[in-house]
Amino acid sequence: MGRRDSPVSPAPVFCKLRKVRGMQECRMSGRMEDIMIRIEDLSVAFGDTEAVKHVNLELIDGEVLGVVGESGSGKSVTALTLMGLVADSAQVTSGRVLFDDVVLREAGKPCDKALYRQYQGARMSMVFQEPMTSLNPTQRVGKQVEEMLRLHTELRGEDRKQKVLEAFRSVGLREVEKVYSCYPHQLSGGMRQRVMIAMAVILHPRLIVADEPTTALDVTIQNQIIELLREINQKQNNAMLFITHDLNLARRLCNRIAVMKDGEVVELGETEEIFQNPREAYTKRLIEAVPSRVKRRRNAAAESGMGEPAGSGPDGKIPAGGEAAEKAGTEQEECAVQGWNTGREQGAGLERSAGQEKSAGLQECAVQGYRKPILRVRNLSVYYKDGDNSLFSRRKKQCVVFGAEFELYPGESLGLVGESGCGKTSLSKAILGMNREVEGEIVHTTLRPQMIFQDPYSSLNPTKTIGWQLMEPLRARAALDQAFAMTREEMETAAYDMLHKVGMEDKYFHRKPSQLSGGQRQRVSIGQALITHPGMIVADEPVSALDVTIQAQIMELMQKLQQEMHLSYLFISHDINVVYRMCDRIMVMKDGRIIESGETEEIFNHPREAYTKMLLGA
Amino acid sequence: MKKHGMGKWNKYLVAGLLMTGLALLLGIVGIFWTPYSTTAMSAAEKFDAPSLRHIFGTDNFGRDIFSRVMEGMGTTVVISSLVVLFSGSVGILLGALTGYFGGVLDEIVMRVTDAVNGFPSILLTLVIISVLGSGRQNVILSLGIVFVPSYIRIVRSEFIRLRDADYIRRARLMGVGRMRILFVHILPNIFSVFWVSVMIGFNNAILAESGMSYLGIGVQPPDASLGKMLSDAQGYLRTAPWYALAPGLSIVWVVLGFALFSEGIRRRNA
Repeated sequence: MGRRDSPVSPAPVFCKLRKVRGMQECRMSGRMEDIMIRIEDLSVAFGDTEAVKHVNLELIDGEVLGVVGESGSGKSVTALTLMGLVADSAQVTSGRVLFDDVVLREAGKPCDKALYRQYQGARMSMVFQEPMTSLNPTQRVGKQVEEMLRLHTELRGEDRKQKVLEAFRSVGLREVEKVYSCYPHQLSGGMRQRVMIAMAVILHPRLIVADEPTTALDVTIQNQIIELLREINQKQNNAMLFITHDLNLARRLCNRIAVMKDGEVVELGETEEIFQNPREAYTKRLIEAVPSRVKRRRNAAAESGMGEPAGSGPDGKIPAGGEAAEKAGTEQEECAVQGWNTGREQGAGLERSAGQEKSAGLQECAVQGYRKPILRVRNLSVYYKDGDNSLFSRRKKQCVVFGAEFELYPGESLGLVGESGCGKTSLSKAILGMNREVEGEIVHTTLRPQMIFQDPYSSLNPTKTIGWQLMEPLRARAALDQAFAMTREEMETAAYDMLHKVGMEDKYFHRKPSQLSGGQRQRVSIGQALITHPGMIVADEPVSALDVTIQAQIMELMQKLQQEMHLSYLFISHDINVVYRMCDRIMVMKDGRIIESGETEEIFNHPREAYTKMLLGA
Repeated sequence: MKKHGMGKWNKYLVAGLLMTGLALLLGIVGIFWTPYSTTAMSAAEKFDAPSLRHIFGTDNFGRDIFSRVMEGMGTTVVISSLVVLFSGSVGILLGALTGYFGGVLDEIVMRVTDAVNGFPSILLTLVIISVLGSGRQNVILSLGIVFVPSYIRIVRSEFIRLRDADYIRRARLMGVGRMRILFVHILPNIFSVFWVSVMIGFNNAILAESGMSYLGIGVQPPDASLGKMLSDAQGYLRTAPWYALAPGLSIVWVVLGFALFSEGIRRRNA
């Protein structure tokens, strides 16, 4: 069974393999005493709602069990109950939790906190998702880790410190002395998570529960943390309960996987077994929802032509949907950005093109003939003002994007990939005119490009109905330009049409965002962005806050709408697989510079830069 | 929605509504009609203890205290409402502008509010009254000025929080006008926070108005006022304790009722 085919580190795979076999034998010979953690028929309820229903799980020493499921599937509640950290309002309604045949928690009995204290920290520990909130911001991290030793060991003073430094070294932190005396905010997310892990493993607990330990991190860091967890698991031979919504991550780390849905374990088995032969329909859906590179290739054949120039019409036919683009096209005039300014102020916006000769640019387009970019960025630098703007102090200017140059063509998806802080969001804001501290040239032919944000919970106005929000762009446009004036009925019809287009029913028209799920909200956001038919959409991580199956649906919707309305997407993401699935071309950004760009297949098959390779490996 | 049944009505809300409702009713009726004339004196009925004829008793001039409490309540409620209305609307306007746009205007307004906050409020009202002279409008104005800074601060901080919310950014991208963003897109989202401060402000206004009348810088006779009645009653505390108790308890009743009411609202929304 070739269970770990990740190309990252072939060496550990072998020893791991042997270990897995060994464990399997144990299990087969039925030596029950080897089972460390036993969760038997566990049900947990919050009031009337059951969060966990009759869950059975077992863990043996050295094993990594992945618990996979979407948000609300009960995976975290299971783990928290096991750890004795679940809220007091949660009641165990059936079953029990055993650690080495000691009953930790039983149905009907309240949590025995004194008993748990003997186990927490020393024998089982936890790594949380959000490293910022799980460390105390007012204490130096070294002291916080030392707290574990102070509570559970006899070590004193200097010995304790040495032990902490040793633990820091073992989790791959450098300059440990310096880290020791840092406050959490002085460390990066990855370093904080390493500190958290050091805290969790310093006492060599037999069980580590990791609740989405990498979700808040960048891909490359994510990779390192996974490697680290695997390394610790091998060195210390502790069992690990790895909770995640990301099947790919689970595949790389876990021996066995339990798939949870609505509080139940629907499937449990060896990792590869689950991936190769998923029994449950739900598991299949989860696996299929994971955007994989293989899938794209299959689709690519069917979808070919989408990225081809032929799509935008050499016959000069202007694609349906882009009223604004049509207008600009016929006038042979490109409006400089100022996207959010009134259309009438366009003239003022031209000063930003900093002396560039526009006509020359136009001629270039003419030479290219059939492919006229909807967006052209030339030598663009974006600045960011630092600190408070007050009466007596000027803000410092910081350059976050250096000399970006690219084009976006009609009907195309251009991916922008990079880690957080690399400047991809700053670049997109500059393009949309939300940041005016720019140098260089941004020219686009669409009047008011729109944006889709990452967080579906903050991108809709909570006090307004869905219908109102869908009509607002039309009202705003009418207020700016009499030519677009519409009656109320026309607006309502357009809003209902858009609601259908994004796959939602009429009844949602009068609802407020709080009554919608994350995926539905994102659909409304997309509808709101598209209702004025902008030619170009900037999508800033539009699916990364969503569950995998919802992710797949939203991506499908975006692709469908792209074809129907002939849209151009500037698609920003840190998730290389999502970008692979969505985009025709990719730009890789690092430290404010676009270091590599090209056709998706080209970049994936022959990455030039070392950084790109690292991203792809992640 | 799940919030029906117990969630919608809680004991705080019910008790608060009943208490404030009764007080408001008495006060509003008191503006137009009272059982006895509030100014009619009667030497024969001086210092009558509470009875069925005069349920709160009579005062040193033989006037019916219940009628005077009704009228005083009306005065207090009207003045407090106007104070909250004035300071609330100025607070919304200035808070919205300074919070959303920031810049020099923000800086100036904030320093002025700091200055206003720097004075003890009673001192500041005294100064304003002594400059403008006493009277209803000036009481409202002076209390309004004292109350404005807290509203500005609350509204401003909410606008700062929301001006960079994703849905506001998107509204800007759509080309929605600035004033529409301020008052149609953002304002409804701060109401839950704003209401709480309005409730607290209303209570504070009642207390402040009573305090001013007590000190003699509030509304002037012949207007009845709860605070003025308290200070008049001071001299007869031993001989006619009901004279002081009636207005005093009325103030407690209104303030407590309103506090319960706002707590109820807060719990319902939580």
